[in-house]
Amino acid sequence: MRTTAIIYMKELRSFFLSPFAFVVMALFTFINGWLFISTVNAMRVTTIPYSLVYNVFSSGWFWMGFLFIFPVITMRLFAEEKKTGTFEGLMTAPVRTGEVLIGKYGAAVTVYLAMLAPLLLFFPVFKMVTGQEDAFHSGAQWGSALILILVGIFNIAIGTLASAVTANQLIAAMLTFVGVMLHYFFGFFVGFATLPDSKWAAGMDYVSTVQHVQLLTQGLIDSRPFVYYLTFSALILSVTWHVIESRKWRI
Amino acid sequence: MIEVSQLTKRYVGHTAVDRISFTVDKGEIVGFLGPNGAGKSTTIRMLTCFLTPSSGRASVDGFDVEKDSVKVRQRIGYMPENVPLYTDMRVKEYLRFRAALKGMETKKLTSGVDEAVETCSLKEVQNKMISTLSKGYRQRVGLADALVTKPDLLILDEPTNGLDPGQIRQFRELIKDLGKRHTIFLSTHILPEVEMTCNRVIIINRGKIKASDTPRNLIRRREEGDLTVEVNGNQGKVLAALKKLPGVTSVKEEKSEKGWNRYLIDSNGKADLGEKIFDLAVERSWKIREMSRHDATLEDAFVDLVRKEEES
Repeated sequence: MRTTAIIYMKELRSFFLSPFAFVVMALFTFINGWLFISTVNAMRVTTIPYSLVYNVFSSGWFWMGFLFIFPVITMRLFAEEKKTGTFEGLMTAPVRTGEVLIGKYGAAVTVYLAMLAPLLLFFPVFKMVTGQEDAFHSGAQWGSALILILVGIFNIAIGTLASAVTANQLIAAMLTFVGVMLHYFFGFFVGFATLPDSKWAAGMDYVSTVQHVQLLTQGLIDSRPFVYYLTFSALILSVTWHVIESRKWRI
Repeated sequence: MIEVSQLTKRYVGHTAVDRISFTVDKGEIVGFLGPNGAGKSTTIRMLTCFLTPSSGRASVDGFDVEKDSVKVRQRIGYMPENVPLYTDMRVKEYLRFRAALKGMETKKLTSGVDEAVETCSLKEVQNKMISTLSKGYRQRVGLADALVTKPDLLILDEPTNGLDPGQIRQFRELIKDLGKRHTIFLSTHILPEVEMTCNRVIIINRGKIKASDTPRNLIRRREEGDLTVEVNGNQGKVLAALKKLPGVTSVKEEKSEKGWNRYLIDSNGKADLGEKIFDLAVERSWKIREMSRHDATLEDAFVDLVRKEEES
């Protein structure tokens, strides 16, 4: 536990002490701020069904920016240490692989939450400033926060795995990006590839981020996405554990 | 302290470490010597639990590197080759992080780090970023990291690699001094270093142990003292006379200038040849203008051992 905390703190520290992190955070918040204003403007001039929350998070623009932050957060985690050789010093200290993995993963999730926080604050601030009580209801607000956290946890697990398989940060970033993109677009294919009454439809719905987002941003807190993202994150992390251990016996 | 038996690491197509066995006792300073690619780092990585042996066993302080890997690592202070460090940290901050990671109690961190800073003379750079430090200082930070928790065993992989001669000397003194408190296992291919610091040398080549002895014995074992004489005299007679001297194993001849010839004499090193050659020269009225002796060094012993292997 203490080892995990020490690694967690060290990772957080090295992330937040680099200007890079703040540039990415600022950019992410700026893009989302611009998207938010555009959505508000659009809703002002035309009649659009659904709430402000729903409209923001089902926008392709949001996901474009959103999926980009995961490679940035996770590419360093293991790849950098392997490149510089500090990985050897780290793993020859009396630490368990699981402790290192959870410390690093936890730090990445924390960084992600810090990036997400300003975006989630847009909505209460909007209500406060404009007094538009009808723009969305609080269920949608909480639901959207939950689904973004879940998707984030899952995507960071993908990024952690990608960073563990290579010593090259760029490759780790590309793998992560491809991974999170594929997973996201997989959900889109549901509409194209299956007829609504096909027996596959239910299964595809189950893994579709698009579907989850639609449900939760309307304030419908469904437990299935929780099970899906949490179990798959755990699965990916356990694969990562084996990847880290594999250096010992690889021939 | 270290017990290694039949330790092997196989990769596809080659065996990096091939059934090696050795022991290191408490309090020893042992040099692990070998040419590049001999299997030194691989052996060390197995000892520090970074790699798992393909077969064979290794234990540190009685704990098996595979079964009790955390306990083994608690007892080792390891300085990897090329001393990788987190360059975005400050020296003291880094040592504090490392000490905590290795399980030092929070209360003891400050004093423990201060002590390591003191031992490795890092006081003047303790608040500097590691990225701004010179190679010599980085090396010392690496050493401070290895000994910050006062482990029983220090394993140093090529600790003086890339240092200048002055720094190497300083480092050597430091290691000698540390040897009073820790068991030290250091790998290197710099021979004078081993000769001066180590009680014992283990020579490894192509994954196999070639010799394990004190530096002095290894030199003695070579049993050859080389002598060069430059003589002006009848060539054939000189050569024949030299060959007849007791203890001489071979004589090679080299043309020098105008009547002078150089003779390279190999002997079994037991007799004092110099004196005999001098007497011989006086007796036969040759002129001698050079006589020099090459004392065998560990380097000769090492090169011999490694070369023998390559020839066979």
